[in-house]
Amino acid sequence: MLEISELRKRFAGGPEAPEGKVALDGIGFAVRPGEMFGFVGANGAGKTTTMRIVMGVLQADSGSVSWQGKPLSYADRRGFGYMPEERGLYQKMRVAEQIEYFGRLHGLSPAAAGKATADLIERLGLGERKGDAVESLSLGNQQRVQLAVALVHDPEVLVLDEPFSGLDPLAVDTLATALQERCRGGVPVIFSSHQLDLVERLCDSVGIVSAGRMVATGTVEELRATEGGTLRVVVRDPQPGWADGLPGEVTVNGDRHVLRAQDGDGQEILRRAAKAGHVEHFGMERPSLTQIFKEAVA
Amino acid sequence: MNGLLLVARREIATHIRTKAFIISLLITAALVGAAAFAPKVFGGPDSYTLGTVNSQQLPLQAALPDAEIEWRAFPDEAAAKRAVLDGDVDAVLVDGVKVISDGEIDSELGILLQSTNREVKLGAAGVNIPPLQMESVGADTRYQAARTGIAVVLVLVLFMLVIGQTMTVAMGVVEEKGSRIVEILLTSIRPWQLLGGKILGLGALGMINLVAILGVGVAAAMVSGVAMDFPPGMPGIVAGVLIWFVLGYAFFATMAAALGSLVSRQEEVGNVMSPLTMLIMAAYFVAFYATTEPTSTLASVMAMVPPFSSMVMPVRMAAAEVPIWQVGLSMALMVLAVLAVLSVAAKVYERAVLRTGARVRLGDVLRGK
Repeated sequence: MLEISELRKRFAGGPEAPEGKVALDGIGFAVRPGEMFGFVGANGAGKTTTMRIVMGVLQADSGSVSWQGKPLSYADRRGFGYMPEERGLYQKMRVAEQIEYFGRLHGLSPAAAGKATADLIERLGLGERKGDAVESLSLGNQQRVQLAVALVHDPEVLVLDEPFSGLDPLAVDTLATALQERCRGGVPVIFSSHQLDLVERLCDSVGIVSAGRMVATGTVEELRATEGGTLRVVVRDPQPGWADGLPGEVTVNGDRHVLRAQDGDGQEILRRAAKAGHVEHFGMERPSLTQIFKEAVA
Repeated sequence: MNGLLLVARREIATHIRTKAFIISLLITAALVGAAAFAPKVFGGPDSYTLGTVNSQQLPLQAALPDAEIEWRAFPDEAAAKRAVLDGDVDAVLVDGVKVISDGEIDSELGILLQSTNREVKLGAAGVNIPPLQMESVGADTRYQAARTGIAVVLVLVLFMLVIGQTMTVAMGVVEEKGSRIVEILLTSIRPWQLLGGKILGLGALGMINLVAILGVGVAAAMVSGVAMDFPPGMPGIVAGVLIWFVLGYAFFATMAAALGSLVSRQEEVGNVMSPLTMLIMAAYFVAFYATTEPTSTLASVMAMVPPFSSMVMPVRMAAAEVPIWQVGLSMALMVLAVLAVLSVAAKVYERAVLRTGARVRLGDVLRGK
C-alpha cells in the first residue's frame, strides 16, 4: 500500500508575495495494490506537487510517503513508473531506442529491456513508428511513448500526471486498457485528470483535492452516498399551484413542470403529481462526479 | 551496466551519427591536413632561374644546398636582357664580369653571386679559403618555425574542441531540464550518474575528434615532408595535448553543466554561459600569445595557473622546451582545480536541475536555499 500522509509544502515567494504560496496543506490518502486512484482538483490545487513529492522530484516541508509500511526510499522509487506533467522525451531519439534506454536505466538487462520494449510497442500500437524520431510523432503517439517509458520496467507503482490530456478517444482507450491491465496485476495506479467522466469510468476510488487539502476521498459510490441524490419529477400540463407545500423547486419548461427535491417523501410527491397531471418522469438523479467535484471544492 | 556508463553511451551514440558531428570532424581534419602542407606550398625552399652569356656557371648549389637552381645559356646580352625583362630568369651573368637583373637584384642572390664569384676567382688563383664554422652557443633554434607552427595549430584545435564540447554539455543539460526528462531520469539514476555520464560521453567524443585530428595532422605532415622539420619529442607533445585536453575539458564542461542547470530554456544558455565562454576565450588569447612568445613571463605564469594552464601549457610545450617539473606542477594544480570544480558543480547541478521555471540564482543554490 502506498500511503501519503500530512504532506505540507510552501513555495518561496518572490518580491511581490514575500509570504510565499502554500501548495500542500496536509494532504493525505492511501492507494491499495490493484487500485486505480483518480486524483482530481482544480488547476493549482496541488495534484502535481503531490505527485512530484511522491516521486522524489520535490521535497516536502513535512509529512511522509510510505510504501509497504516503510518510508519510501530511492531504491523503491526506481521500481515506480512515472509520467510527469510536462512530457519528457528525447526529441531526436528513436522510439524503440528511447523506451529501451529507460528500461536499462531502471536496471533491466539488455535482453529484458529489448523484450519489454517490443511488447509495449506492440501493445500500444507503435509498431510502424518504432524507428522514427520522437519529434516526428503526433502528440497522441508521443504520449504513448511516454507511457511506454513509464511502463517498461514493469513498475510496482504507477504515478501518472494527466496521462490522458490531449488524446483522442481511441488513444484514451488504448492507454486506459494498458493501465487497467497493470492494475489488475496488483499495481497501484495514481493518475490525475480533468476528464471527470473518464475518472468515473476507470477509477476504483477518487480523491478530490482543493487548495492543498484532500476534501473528499472514497469510491465514486461512496462519494455519491454522502452527496445524496436528487428526486426529479416531470409533470405535463399540471394544475397551477400543484406543488405548493412540497419540498424542492419547480421549473417550468413549456407545459412541462420539473420538480427537483433533495429531501421529502417521494411517495407523497408522486401522489400529488399524479393527481395534478400526467407524470412523464419520476426518479432519483444520481450526481455525476462533476457535480460531486463542484460541490466538494465550492 | 552502471547508470553512468549507460548515460555516456547514449551521449556518444546520439551525437556520433549527427551530420553536425561528422561534418565538423571532416572540416577540422581537412584544415589541419592542409596546414601540414602549407609550409611546402607557401614557404618552401628558394628557387632561382639564372642565365649565362659567355660565362661559366657559378657553383651556387654548394653554398645553398636546399635551393633549386636552374641555369640557362643565352647567345648574347640582348637575348639575356629580353629574358630578364620578360621575367623568365632572375638574373644573368654576362661575360663573367657583370650581372643584369630587372630592377635591384634580390639581396640574398646578389650576396651569393658576389661571394661565390670571389671564391671561384680566388680558387683559380690558387688561394684556398676554408669555410667558416658556424656554431650556436644559445638555444637550439633549428626547430623554431616548426614549433611555432605546431603550437598555432594546437591552440586552435584545443580551443575549438573545448568550447564546442563545453557548449554541447550545457545544451544537453538544459534539454533534459527544460523537457523534464530529468524528472524521469532522476527517479532511476542519481544526479552524479547523469552529470558524470554526460560529461564522460561528450568528453569521449571530443577525444575521438582530437585523436582523429592529430592523426590526420601527423599523417599529412609525413606525406608532405613537413614532419622532417618536427622537433624531437613530438610523441611527448602529442600525448601532452591529449592529457591537457582531458583536464581542460573536465574543468570547463563541469562548470558548464552547473551553469546550464540554472536555466530551463535553450535561449538562456548563451546568457548563463557567458562568463565561462569569456574565461575560455581568455585562455585562448593567452595561449595564442604563447605560440610566439612561449618564454615570456605572461606565458610562463599562465602556464601554471588553472584553468589557463590547460591551454597555455600544451602550446608552450610545443613552442619551446619546458622543464619537466613545471609541466608536472602545472598538471597537479590543474587536477586539484578540476576536483574542486567537480565537487562544487555536482552540488549546484543536483540542487538546481529539478528547479524548473525561472532562472535559478547561483548564490541561492550555493547557500542551499
